[in-house]
Amino acid sequence: MAFLLRKQWALYSVTPLYKFSYANMKEYSRHLSAFVAAEKQKGLAMVVGIDLSIKVIFSTLLGLKGTDRDQAAILVQIASKTQTISGKEEEKVVWSGWFCCVFGDELLENVPEDFICLPLFLANGAETYTAIIGTWFQKTFDCCFSRLTISPLNLAWMAAMWTGYKVDSHAVATELIFSVPCIPQRLDISYAIHPEDAQALWDTVQNTQGEVTQEEVDLFMDCLYSHFHRHFKIHLSATRLVKVSTSIASVHSDGNLKILQSKYLIGVLMLLTELAILQIQ
Amino acid sequence: RRLDMRPLKEAIAEAVVQLCQENLASIKEAAVLDIVYNHTFQNKRVWTVYQMTKATGGETDIFDFTAFKRKFKRRIQSSLINVTINFKEFEDNAIWIRIAWGTSYTKPNQYKATYVVYHSQTPYAFISKSINRSNLPLLCQALIVASNYGDIREMELRSHCLDSLKDIVFKRYSQTFQTHHPKPLQERNVAPENVDPRLIQEDKSEKERIQRVNREVFGDGPQPKLEFAQYKLETMFKSNPKMVNVSERESFRCLVKFSSPHLLEALKSLAPAGMADAPLSPLLTCIPHKARNYFKIKERKGVLAASLVSP
Repeated sequence: MAFLLRKQWALYSVTPLYKFSYANMKEYSRHLSAFVAAEKQKGLAMVVGIDLSIKVIFSTLLGLKGTDRDQAAILVQIASKTQTISGKEEEKVVWSGWFCCVFGDELLENVPEDFICLPLFLANGAETYTAIIGTWFQKTFDCCFSRLTISPLNLAWMAAMWTGYKVDSHAVATELIFSVPCIPQRLDISYAIHPEDAQALWDTVQNTQGEVTQEEVDLFMDCLYSHFHRHFKIHLSATRLVKVSTSIASVHSDGNLKILQSKYLIGVLMLLTELAILQIQ
Repeated sequence: RRLDMRPLKEAIAEAVVQLCQENLASIKEAAVLDIVYNHTFQNKRVWTVYQMTKATGGETDIFDFTAFKRKFKRRIQSSLINVTINFKEFEDNAIWIRIAWGTSYTKPNQYKATYVVYHSQTPYAFISKSINRSNLPLLCQALIVASNYGDIREMELRSHCLDSLKDIVFKRYSQTFQTHHPKPLQERNVAPENVDPRLIQEDKSEKERIQRVNREVFGDGPQPKLEFAQYKLETMFKSNPKMVNVSERESFRCLVKFSSPHLLEALKSLAPAGMADAPLSPLLTCIPHKARNYFKIKERKGVLAASLVSP
């Protein structure tokens, strides 16, 4: 699971996969390897070093689900064998993508039998490879990928919730990045709060046992906005929240994610699964 | 398909090398060329401003460039032999100094040179951010010795735009007059091109008030070009009346960074766009007159408003 951490993941929502079978993964590996190699012949993908062979590996990721009703997560990796200057053969993973569904109960209710639901897709590596893999999946399983964009409202939720999570080590500041619209010059504002102080504020605001409410998130954000306004006389609420960074994870509204702690991975994936499902519907 | 520029670049590079060899070019020519390049593309670097102060009773001597160069070189070379030092004077009396640093055992690294820009009629020097800060004290000493000053300090003022830094410290931008009484609305072509006829009198006078206040605070002319401002806040968190449950704590530690291709113009446009109050906070509007864009703000005991504390 460590390989999931500290990497930039591009987020996508994926519609259900038609007639995907976990039993056929070896066959899929072979087909996709051939497909990727063929696409590379067309000169569409990048080549680094002398390429000996491209291999695509399918595998399942255990432990990345919420309930037993969630489908098992699938990992797809592109490994490339290259020859170093000294003549040694080296196999390296050049691209990774994984599909998962964490607490996706809502979607699973009305899905016909032949479909597998893994609405959240995360990709790391060259975009050209992502495009090739995406094309093959879309052709083979009649599904549709779209970039997962995250609204300021949802980013605020993540800021509040993730600030509240206690971490043992490597606590970093809760940082919010705002982009100011409607002015001739571009202006970005980074507002970073010391992790202890941010957590103390959230603990004061968050009262309901076992759940987080919209009111609490709004109050947390309003507190931050009013402290900012006191100093700078600027209404942050009129600007656009575009990125949130905490000790747990950082996420950008364009749909880019970096997970920093494995302890709360399931919580993060649950939130993102929900957003992916909402985007599909 | 991208055009492959490599053969063209290689051909030019080879021609240059050949030219240099034919004309017995040395490090000195290369260094001066480097200065010219960096002067032309000065905004690629980040410049920090330093201010020098006269020793008590010091007089303003007539500037002697030759003596300056001699004293500067001597001070550095007395501590460090392996350096390359070159000077070039440009228009508007700007003296550019290029220093390539080595160590007791290694030759100067020509690829990581430090640049200093000094205007002899002023107590200011602009230093391009050097990666190796260990040579900075020696550089500062050489500057004050060569220019007959007593002391030098680093200001909290940094930017890519060298000209704007000069505008700020030389006070070459259009300054505002810090009055408490609002200036009467003058005859200016500020009427917006498309005035919405449905605009009622209250909105119109508020818009005019914002424009007027903005002009008072920012001045009429173009703003100096800065790309960032940073505020380290250690002030108390004060709750609004509506946030009754939120308790006040000792200090709410934050770091706020503003970035923009043209920060002051962007800040100036916030109130008219409805995203800020007019007047904007003095923490932001003081940037040109206080000649700083890095701040540490602490709460003064017993006073509600945050105030500036010099580091």
